[in-house]
Amino acid sequence: MTAPPAVRAAPKMVTLTIEGRQVTVPEGTNLIEAAKVAGVLVPHYCYHPGLPVAGVCRMCLVDVEKAPKLAPGCATAVAEGQVVHVHSEKAREARKGVLEMLLINHPLDCPICDQSGECELQDYTFQEGRDGSRYREPKRFNPVEDFGGDVLYVTNRCILCTRCVRFMDDVAHEPVLNVSERGDRATIGKFEGADLTHPWAANVVDLCPVGALLSKDFLNKARAWELDRAASVCPNCTQGCNSVLEVRDNVVVRMKPRSNEEVNHFYLCDAGRLDYRWLNRADRADQPLVHTGDGLERSDWEPAIARAAAVLAGKRAYVLASPGLSNEALFLLSQLVQRTGGAGAFRVERGPEAPLAGVPDLALRAERAANVMGAELLGFAKGDAPLSGLNADDVLVIADHDLSQLGAAALEAIDRHRAVIVIGTTLPAGLSHAAVVLPLANVAEEEGTLTNLRGRVQRYFQAKAAPGLARPAWFVLGDLLAATGATEQYWTPGEVFAALAKGHPHFAGMHYDTLGLKGAAPAGALAGAGA
Amino acid sequence: MSHGPSAAGGSLVAAPADHAHEPHVPVFTGARRQELDMILGRYPTKMAALLPALWILQEERGWVSEGGMAEVAGVLGLTPAYVKGVVTFYTMYHQHPVGKYFVQVCTTTPCNVCGAEDVVKAFLQHTRCGELGLTSPDGRFTVIEVECLGACGFATPVMINSDFLESVTADTVPDVLAELR
Amino acid sequence: MGYPHKPHARESVVLSEHFGSAEARTLAGWRKRGGYQALEKALGMAPADIVSVVKDSGLRGRGGAGFPTGLKWSYMKPGDGKPHYLCCNADESEPGTFKDREIMRWTPHALVEGCALGAYAIGAETAYVYIRGEFTEPLQQMNAAVQEAYASGILGANAMGTGKRLDVHVHKGAGAYICGEETALMNSLEGKRGNPRIKPPFPAVSGVFGMPTTINNVETLVAAVEVVKRGAAWYKGFGRPDNPKSTGTKLYSVCGNVARPGNYEVPMGFPFRDFLHELCGGPLPGRKFKAVIPGGASVPIQTMEEAEATLMDYEGFVAGGTMLGSGGVIVFDDQQNMVKQIARLARFFAHESCAQCTQCREGTAWTTKIMERIRDGHGTYEDLDTLLDIGEQMTGKTICVLSDSCAVPVASGIRKFRHEFEALIPKKQGTAFVAAAVA
Repeated sequence: MTAPPAVRAAPKMVTLTIEGRQVTVPEGTNLIEAAKVAGVLVPHYCYHPGLPVAGVCRMCLVDVEKAPKLAPGCATAVAEGQVVHVHSEKAREARKGVLEMLLINHPLDCPICDQSGECELQDYTFQEGRDGSRYREPKRFNPVEDFGGDVLYVTNRCILCTRCVRFMDDVAHEPVLNVSERGDRATIGKFEGADLTHPWAANVVDLCPVGALLSKDFLNKARAWELDRAASVCPNCTQGCNSVLEVRDNVVVRMKPRSNEEVNHFYLCDAGRLDYRWLNRADRADQPLVHTGDGLERSDWEPAIARAAAVLAGKRAYVLASPGLSNEALFLLSQLVQRTGGAGAFRVERGPEAPLAGVPDLALRAERAANVMGAELLGFAKGDAPLSGLNADDVLVIADHDLSQLGAAALEAIDRHRAVIVIGTTLPAGLSHAAVVLPLANVAEEEGTLTNLRGRVQRYFQAKAAPGLARPAWFVLGDLLAATGATEQYWTPGEVFAALAKGHPHFAGMHYDTLGLKGAAPAGALAGAGA
Repeated sequence: MSHGPSAAGGSLVAAPADHAHEPHVPVFTGARRQELDMILGRYPTKMAALLPALWILQEERGWVSEGGMAEVAGVLGLTPAYVKGVVTFYTMYHQHPVGKYFVQVCTTTPCNVCGAEDVVKAFLQHTRCGELGLTSPDGRFTVIEVECLGACGFATPVMINSDFLESVTADTVPDVLAELR
Repeated sequence: MGYPHKPHARESVVLSEHFGSAEARTLAGWRKRGGYQALEKALGMAPADIVSVVKDSGLRGRGGAGFPTGLKWSYMKPGDGKPHYLCCNADESEPGTFKDREIMRWTPHALVEGCALGAYAIGAETAYVYIRGEFTEPLQQMNAAVQEAYASGILGANAMGTGKRLDVHVHKGAGAYICGEETALMNSLEGKRGNPRIKPPFPAVSGVFGMPTTINNVETLVAAVEVVKRGAAWYKGFGRPDNPKSTGTKLYSVCGNVARPGNYEVPMGFPFRDFLHELCGGPLPGRKFKAVIPGGASVPIQTMEEAEATLMDYEGFVAGGTMLGSGGVIVFDDQQNMVKQIARLARFFAHESCAQCTQCREGTAWTTKIMERIRDGHGTYEDLDTLLDIGEQMTGKTICVLSDSCAVPVASGIRKFRHEFEALIPKKQGTAFVAAAVA
């Protein structure tokens, strides 16, 4: 984030003991958060660090020594010398009671519930609930309701934690959900005709601790325990929201937010999260191809790289680079540009911006690609006519750039252009005259870093295998540079990043391994904080 | 604090649905708008005028329709969903049209021990409503049980629209109804 | 009390002195009876001095919790630069309680005066009187009294000519018992669902509209008028000499199976036996008292033996195993089935639960279903244990005490009238089906 942290006095610290472990936390911290610091999970439903405290599920009741009653961990601030027991007999009995109450009207339909396997009601009941219910009366029944957008409401499973209502009220600032009726007749409701169409509404599905709010997109698609998960960064705009890609049988089936206070808090917009199918597209370039005169023929990697180097020899490279490529790929492309005295450019698709009102500096950004900032930092010119600088003698290197939005004139120019090298995840139509096609892994199939609109550099990890012989871009471009006579050799993306960090002020001081899961702001932004 | 016949206070059984889809004619114009503006002056927030606004709506239309909720939401700068959440919390707002005479009989414990259930039976019989929450065939009556009306020493209290009757017994029900005819 | 009976000789009518007199409802009639003298006196005093007098009088909250009124007022810090508010809790909904209703019906100006006086004492310019929507007549009387008070300059920008601003607004509820809980009332007043709030913050720090707020019951504010008018020493004169913690008079609402239901005002420490048998006229002819809930539906049930040994003040009721609560006395005689009546109470609480806390939302409804099943002859002995255990889960674990209140009559009922429960439980396997078939 660019906002410099305000210069303020260090908060007063408070020391307390939780489950026998002493912790020191800032004054005002609640007991759930303090317990996290002590490595203790206080079971809870309605509490969520991104939402105002409701204190209604009563699951987080903890035993505070000298207090007359159990205290709600979400709504109780730490106090000096406090001694807190999360797993005392009294606290466990209370949780057992809450779990039994939550289940009396909850259908035991885990076998057909999408949430099963990632359900907090299931987990806590398994951990410390009663082994049977004493409830002998009929369960209440309400039909499933379509809330609009991507959201289904399975009323019977709802535990009325109100996270969804509070998200729409206090984070989205669009109160379209309510609690309707009262007592055990209460449900989450909406107004007829006012659906969950807010561009960030699908976050209520992630926030729901049980299977009451479901994604229509993910409905009945996979069981939670069948999924492989990898930390990633949403590739669909310049915000760089941290995400998790969930994969079954090498197919991405869901993208969910991953929390990062500096970028997206806990959220991911609907457009971003639902736009993952292109990661699974079947019409991929999966084999190096070389033009034989008759047309493109399959090749091995070595001859294809050699051919590409030969095409480039003595020529200026004009690189049309996708603003979705990694910093590493763009860095190596920029090296290619420099070595040949060429140029690089790109065009980025735009759409309406959609902010999440309750979180500062978080929006679905107008520029719908993940690394516009990285591309610009590395010298690629942004413009609507990215081919305007192309000379007839140049070798046009199309590095995974989407051509479909460039317009007829540009496509004609590409068609007419003599020397074309395609390095990409697909072989766009009309490029059968390319000299070489080098197939790339997409963002779900490799690891690397991206730079978001505020200059924050963040890592993403491999979630699935690339098709056929496709390779990560840094790998392909490293080989290509070597083939054109460069002396540097790269064996890992980390090595490419190290070279980038050494040579470029924006990345100065950053280390691939220490970027971790949350990324790093550029040194400039940090230096600005002191000013 | 009214409730229908089943469960621990289910909501009212839907009355005839034919009024339910009539388009809503705005209430907050002219004198009613001025009244609301005066009420708004009593509170530091617009939202605080929500309950009074809903009362005005119900006085004008006899019940609180979805169209009415949307109007109130618009007037007070709230969302219709918010207004609906509030309407459904309070039992005195009718979410369906009710009979010309809306009869609420207290049956909570203090009245219950004084024979309130017989009073309910008498009303159901003499109004020909038959069942709690249903409107009588002539459209004149809707009878419901209500939780404590706060007049326990005058068992059984009965509210007919905004008239508050005390010490009603099963025997006096026919007289009470005769007054209305 | 003056209505519908003449006051009993052993009553100490202070607040109820003018019940039944139509003239006392008007400003002129009220003035004739010494009305607004206390307010005039108060407006000439420093607010802190009014708080001291009320503190000194020992007046405690008459809504149910019995919190010392002067102490509550003293939490309102003057000069904090924020608007202060007074809320008058006139949402009287506790089953068995109908005293505030009579105060507002017969002496509405007493409450207007109490609100104005209380507001001034806590540094507020605005008082809201939150009256439950079902109270049509009290609403009418209060609206008329407020209008008269404005018209005569008692309220408004120049209250009683002192240059001070005092506003009193009547706010009509819409049907929700829980709005009698102070923080739920504030939410309701703000135009929200009547959900109780987590405390802290307490109302004196952040109350209605997020501002420092004091909330007092109708009877409390009306009593404060008398305290200011006649002095703390006079007020302390009512009560047991050996119990200075409970002072003044208390209005009790009596209902259920008694010969003379109604409101009665007696000094603190009055013997409950005399109260029930002399003032209220004892049981109906040919019947016997069985049990009593002395402080509104939320307090433990007493057997008649326990009740007859109780002295009527905050401490006396606690010693008797229950609480003074709101002063709503519900009497049951030998014709009543306690299981049926406790089931009815449970149903009340299930109907009124706001739905926030798990134990309350689910527990009150579950309790009701079990109680009604036992009532209908389909219970088991295990149900009794389950009820007590659910009650344990519903006690001391939620935001407000509604769920505790539901558990209280069930637990005390099972403990004190277990034989009535057991009499309804089929004795042999299969009997339940027979009973069901017969029913």
